[in-house]
Amino acid sequence: MYYNFSLVSLFLLLLGLMGIILNRGHLIIMLMSIELILLAASFLFLINSIASDILVGQFFTILILTVAAAESAIGLGILVAYYRIKGTIAVKSLNWLRG
Amino acid sequence: MYLLVILAPLLGALSSGLFGRKLGEKGAGVFTSACLLLVLSWSTLIFYETTINCSATFLKLWRWLDSDLLTTFIGFQFDHITATMLIVVAAVSSFVHIFSTAYMAGDPHLPRFMSYLSLFTFFMLLLVSSDNYPQLFIGWEGVGLCSYLLINFWITRIEANKAAIKAMLVNRVGDIGLVLAMFAVWGAYGSLDFSTVFVATEGTSTGHTATLIGLLLFIGAVGKSAQLGLHTWLPDAMEGPTPVSALIHAATMVTAGVFLLIRSAPLLEQTPLSLMIVTVVGSLTAFFAATIGLVQNDLKKVIAYSTCSQLGYMVVACGISNYSISLFHLMNHAFFKALLFLSAGSVIHAVADEQDMRRMGGLISSTPFTFTMVAIGSLALMGTPFLAGFYSKDLILELTYDQHYLAFAHWLILFSALLTAFYSIRLLYCTFIASSKSKKDVFVNAHEGSWNLTLPLVFLAIGSIFVGYLTKECIWSYEATLPAIVPLFIKLLPVLFSFFGALSSLIIFHLALSDYQLITRGGYQAAYTFLQSAWQFNYIINNFLVKIIWATGHIITYRATDKGSLEIIGPRGLSGSAIELTRRLSNLQSGKIFNYALIILIGVGAYIIGTVGTVYL
Repeated sequence: MYYNFSLVSLFLLLLGLMGIILNRGHLIIMLMSIELILLAASFLFLINSIASDILVGQFFTILILTVAAAESAIGLGILVAYYRIKGTIAVKSLNWLRG
Repeated sequence: MYLLVILAPLLGALSSGLFGRKLGEKGAGVFTSACLLLVLSWSTLIFYETTINCSATFLKLWRWLDSDLLTTFIGFQFDHITATMLIVVAAVSSFVHIFSTAYMAGDPHLPRFMSYLSLFTFFMLLLVSSDNYPQLFIGWEGVGLCSYLLINFWITRIEANKAAIKAMLVNRVGDIGLVLAMFAVWGAYGSLDFSTVFVATEGTSTGHTATLIGLLLFIGAVGKSAQLGLHTWLPDAMEGPTPVSALIHAATMVTAGVFLLIRSAPLLEQTPLSLMIVTVVGSLTAFFAATIGLVQNDLKKVIAYSTCSQLGYMVVACGISNYSISLFHLMNHAFFKALLFLSAGSVIHAVADEQDMRRMGGLISSTPFTFTMVAIGSLALMGTPFLAGFYSKDLILELTYDQHYLAFAHWLILFSALLTAFYSIRLLYCTFIASSKSKKDVFVNAHEGSWNLTLPLVFLAIGSIFVGYLTKECIWSYEATLPAIVPLFIKLLPVLFSFFGALSSLIIFHLALSDYQLITRGGYQAAYTFLQSAWQFNYIINNFLVKIIWATGHIITYRATDKGSLEIIGPRGLSGSAIELTRRLSNLQSGKIFNYALIILIGVGAYIIGTVGTVYL
């Protein structure tokens, strides 16, 4: 019954990963993809919480949302600081540290 | 006294070598010569005690090589053979020392020279007096080393350097034979002491082992005594100063090989095959060197090839089992060959360091004393009746005739006796009697040397005349030598041949048929070139042996192995592949974030698959 929902969350997760990997554009897209991954995770937690009738999944969902908010705030902060120095937020130009 | 005989030259060498600056030129010469004269007088006493009174002396000092399987002492053995060798070495060496003080006067490195001479004498005495093979080997290598140092005495001359290296390396070939012989002796008898080994040989030795030992010993002797094949170092060794040639390459060092054969007589007696090879090689050497001596123009080279030839006689005498006669010839030869060399030194000194016979001549009027000395030496060398060479050389010839299937050696060395007479007289004639071809000022200024140049010659001349007669029976006494029963005609033949050779030489050179005019004629020219270049031995060895070995060393050992495969497997290849690997690994870190994300994803994926896989499988 919840199979379809978990499939959706898995699809969302993959979408987020692909967003990170295939992204050659802005850092903001990358941040958004991370948000998407976190949301997919939250979604999966919720579905499992309902499916197995255990409340812990919902605790975790709230926690993840908090963390995601904090993470977005810090990420955006870093992004702004980076933009001030560099003048661009293209992912391609982010290759100063090579091995 | 017995130990001091060995140690006195070492004392001289050390003091002259280490404190030569304090002793000064004259002091070094006097001190080392005095040490050697002491040795000579003691050697005479030892000869009296051991040979005439028949009381050999053995001294065992301390354990040297000591293991379960082999115990060797530092020990000395003074018997007939050693006593004779002592006389030879001490006499020649002390006269050469005195001669050198005059001949080398003015050389800035005289103390070094005297030190080397004394060190050489020490090693030679160690060689002849040792009572086991390893200790003999110390002396054996020591004289090789001193030969190197002395040939190379004028270290700034490139020719001297090359000759010294050649002497050292060619000698090493023989030394390997001696080392292998020592291993074989040790393997067969479990000991390296002469007394043990020689007693053990009687009846116990099996054919193949004995032959192997005999042949290896002979290879050692071939290297040291300049027999056919390894003889090329001896003529080149004339690059050293003349007293060195007299001491090392005429009287002492080259006789070490013959001494080894004489000393190892009980081992050689077990193997007829080795003895036959010894005879063949010895007689061929005698003949071959005599033919080359005919056309050499360098005064010293003529005498050097004559040495080579006479060593062939000694080796033949060993090959036909007459070791005492070989020793007897060794002693006589040492006296007249040292005399010839030192007289040659006197000639070279007289004509301002000119060695080429073609630029000498007419010296009989300016240096009559030297002429007399060369004449005595040459006559003794030719085997003129009642001089030293007669007693030993003719005896060897007669004894060779007596051998059944080895009698061809008799004809070879008989013919070389003729050639010996020819080139001796040629030397005498071209240097002293023929009209002079030297520069005028050189000819006018030709003079005899000072007393310490001439006095050694006098003593050696006395030795060359009398020593054969005086010692002719006491030296053979240790080994019964039956006189050969040969026809009277054969007995007379050597003397006739010698006189014929001498006479033909005189006639050819006196009737202006000098070789220089004949050089241009075809067959004569070919023969002359062939002999002049010493049967092309150097050419053959250099082209077909040395060059190939050299090229092999460069291409295979150095380029293919050391700098090739080993380098690729080893240092360069290993470090290169490590660097390449890390370079590729660090290329993974491209600096691009999406690549990192992909790598992280792959890693996490792999981890999950790994863990889940292990759980379910």
